[in-house]
Amino acid sequence: MSLKTNVTYYPAMPSAFKEKLLSDEFIVTSEISPPKGVDVSSVFEEAGLVRDYVDAFNVTDNQRAVMRMSPLAMGHLLKERGLDVIMQFTCRDRNRLALQSDLLGAYAMGMENVCIMSGDYPTKGDNPGAKPVYDLDSVQLLGAMNQLEGGYDIAGNPLESAPSFTKGAVCNTEPDQPLQLMKLEKKAHMGIDFFQTQAVYDIGHFETFMEGISHMEVPVLAGLIPLKSAHMARFMNEKIPGIRVGDELIARMESSTDPAEEGLLICAEQIRELKKVCRGIHLMPIGHYRHITALFEMAGLHEKH
Amino acid sequence: MIISSSKPFEEILENLDDPGKIFVLGCGVCATKLHVGGEPEVEAMCRKLRNAGKEVIGGGVAKAACNIKSKESLLENDPAIERADTIIVMSCGSGISVVSSLVDVPVHPATNTNSLGGYSEGHVRKDLCAMCGSCIADFFGGVCPTARCPKGLMNGPCGGAMQGKCEVDPDRDCAWELIYLRLKEIGRLDLLERIFEPKEYNG
Repeated sequence: MSLKTNVTYYPAMPSAFKEKLLSDEFIVTSEISPPKGVDVSSVFEEAGLVRDYVDAFNVTDNQRAVMRMSPLAMGHLLKERGLDVIMQFTCRDRNRLALQSDLLGAYAMGMENVCIMSGDYPTKGDNPGAKPVYDLDSVQLLGAMNQLEGGYDIAGNPLESAPSFTKGAVCNTEPDQPLQLMKLEKKAHMGIDFFQTQAVYDIGHFETFMEGISHMEVPVLAGLIPLKSAHMARFMNEKIPGIRVGDELIARMESSTDPAEEGLLICAEQIRELKKVCRGIHLMPIGHYRHITALFEMAGLHEKH
Repeated sequence: MIISSSKPFEEILENLDDPGKIFVLGCGVCATKLHVGGEPEVEAMCRKLRNAGKEVIGGGVAKAACNIKSKESLLENDPAIERADTIIVMSCGSGISVVSSLVDVPVHPATNTNSLGGYSEGHVRKDLCAMCGSCIADFFGGVCPTARCPKGLMNGPCGGAMQGKCEVDPDRDCAWELIYLRLKEIGRLDLLERIFEPKEYNG
């Protein structure tokens, strides 16, 4: 009797998302958070509202160190419903054994798009006593992914079958930060398919950043968070690293009678500008999904599917 | 130097369940320098324990609590230690372990051990070394990211620093900011380009 089972294995299926990255198409990704619980219906509902406009959903990994359902499970559930996903992968919660095994698992379930990041420190979240892992940093994790793609684990042991990922990483966009640029160079050097940035508000500033990294030839998806109020803008300026909302935008938000609408309008203007500057956008709607369709239409982004 | 801090007295009391005769032992090295286990602190601890109704039979400061040759050497600090039912040690975890291994009565810590640091130019410096067993501090201008970056990031900073301050503790400089300044100072910014492989643990 043979112990062999019939395994469905998808060797290096061309990733739809990777193909789009290589095309001229303006790419739209949207962040989506797994639930703090087991009922995923609200996530399906949110994703359903914007799915026709979005190329892939970026599933967060215990974002801001707040414990939620695993992105591996949530990604799989979205994938089952025909949505393309990008799995976020932080270095915070898993050592190299767990990172590699989850990466293999993700690929086996058809999730070849991965966006990696260091991850906010546990004390920022809702389980502040958690042991921080950071066994690998993001550059080293990219190295581990290269190893897996080459048919070996990070310790050099051969794999029985190898994955092929679409690899993304995150970055801030201050053009005058030599250390951030240095790290970006290292990530690009490790081989990367796209960068996804922190929220951008100053397009001129962002253009300077793009010029500074043009030699890396990596597609960039500009991060966007629609503003809801002047208060939110000031809060982000004060508390969120890498975000800088200019005084002019804050004044616009302040003088508006409908700040939420104004925020969407600003965001739509930014998208129109960004179309000339980078390969796509990464939208972080933060509970704003209902209005996102209107935002896309205002920005001249139409249904893709 | 091992950086320790005093435990809240209430916590020490809580852990003393029917302690009998207590001896308090300090340490003459790091704990003395940091004022958490020198003579004045040992005296204060004895006084507080007595005020709390405990029977204290003596107190003393070992030359180095982590470096006591034998039980006889321990008793040279004060023969009363032999009669103690409970010993409270005001030193780092190494001292507590060494003293515990030499006596057959319960030993309680009065301090928490925080990090391997130092004292220089009038300042206590925490988290200088993570004792990883494979020193490469020279590549980072002597500012070890394994010890001084809470995430131990070896290939550059995370995106969490604000105005050069650490995401984890805004009172603390981002380790990578310090690495940059130091490497610039010694004319070795080229070292920033080096890609560091994952650390080998358990080696």
